[in-house]
Amino acid sequence: MRALVIDDSRAMRRIVTGILTNLGYEVRDAGHGREGLDVLDEGWVPDLATIDWNMPVMDGLQFVSAVRSNPAWRRMTMMMVTSESEHTQIVRALAAGAHEYMIKPFTADAFRDKLALLGLLPQEVAL
Amino acid sequence: MTSTDTGQRRRGTDVRPVITDLMDEDTILAVAGDAWISLVGEDEVLVPIPGDLPGDVLSSWVDVVGPWTGSVVLTTGRATAEALSRALLRETAPEVLEVEDVEDAFGEIANVVGGSIKAALPGPSGLSLPQVGHAPLVRNPADVCRVEVLWRGEPLTISVQGALPPLPVPSS
Repeated sequence: MRALVIDDSRAMRRIVTGILTNLGYEVRDAGHGREGLDVLDEGWVPDLATIDWNMPVMDGLQFVSAVRSNPAWRRMTMMMVTSESEHTQIVRALAAGAHEYMIKPFTADAFRDKLALLGLLPQEVAL
Repeated sequence: MTSTDTGQRRRGTDVRPVITDLMDEDTILAVAGDAWISLVGEDEVLVPIPGDLPGDVLSSWVDVVGPWTGSVVLTTGRATAEALSRALLRETAPEVLEVEDVEDAFGEIANVVGGSIKAALPGPSGLSLPQVGHAPLVRNPADVCRVEVLWRGEPLTISVQGALPPLPVPSS
C-alpha cells in the first residue's frame, strides 16, 4: 500500500512516515499541498494521504478540495492530521471531502487504530 | 420572528478578555503534559518546578487569532530544545541534528501545544504557522498566563500571552 504524507514540519513528516513504514507502507512526502498535487500529477496515486491543515503555499483544505475535483484521484483516502481541533474545522474538512480527522498530538497506536477503522491496515499487519 | 437582546451577546464596546479570564496555569500544565506524553514519550513528564533558564535560549510559538488574540510561547535552553527534538523524532532522528531540524521540531511542539491551548479558548480562532527565534514581547503584563516546568531536570517555560496592548482606561 502507498501513502503520501503532507506536512510542512519535517519532524512530523519523519514521525508519520516512520509509523506508516513500520506498518508496511511505501511512503512519499510533501511539504505542502502544492507539492502533494505534484506527486499525484506524476501518476503516483496513494491509497492514503495524511494531510496537515496549516501549511504555506497550499493548505490542507485546499489540497482536499483539489483532489476531490479530480475523478482520477477519487479512490484515495484522505485523513487530516492536524492540531486544528475546533468542531467547525473538523466539519469543514469532512465537508470538503476528507474521510477522517486525527488531532495532534497522537500516539502510534492511535494512528494505527484510525487506519484499522478506515480498513487501511496492510493485511499482514491487520492479522 | 422577533428576537430579544438578552445582553449575552458581546458588543464592540465590551472589555476584551485577558487570558487569565479564560484559563489558568493548571489548564496549561495539563494541556502541555498531554502533548508531552503523546509527542515525546509515555514516561516524559513536565514537573511544575521553576528553574533558571540558561543564557542561550530558544523560543518557539504560534499565534492564536480570535476572541482572544495572542501567542503560545515555549522557551528553553538551546541544548534542551535539541534534546527535545531528538526525543520527538525518536528512532527517526538523524545522527546529526542540524539547526533547521531543531527549529522545525521545536516549532512543531509549539504548534501542537498551541493547538490544544486554542481548543480550550473561546472560538472560532485561527492558528498561525509556528515560528522559532526570540520570543515575541509581552504587550500587556495583565494578559499573560505562564508556567515554569522542568523536563528531564531542565527548565522550560510555556507562556500564553496576549498580543494587544492594554485598553486605555475610560475617562469618567
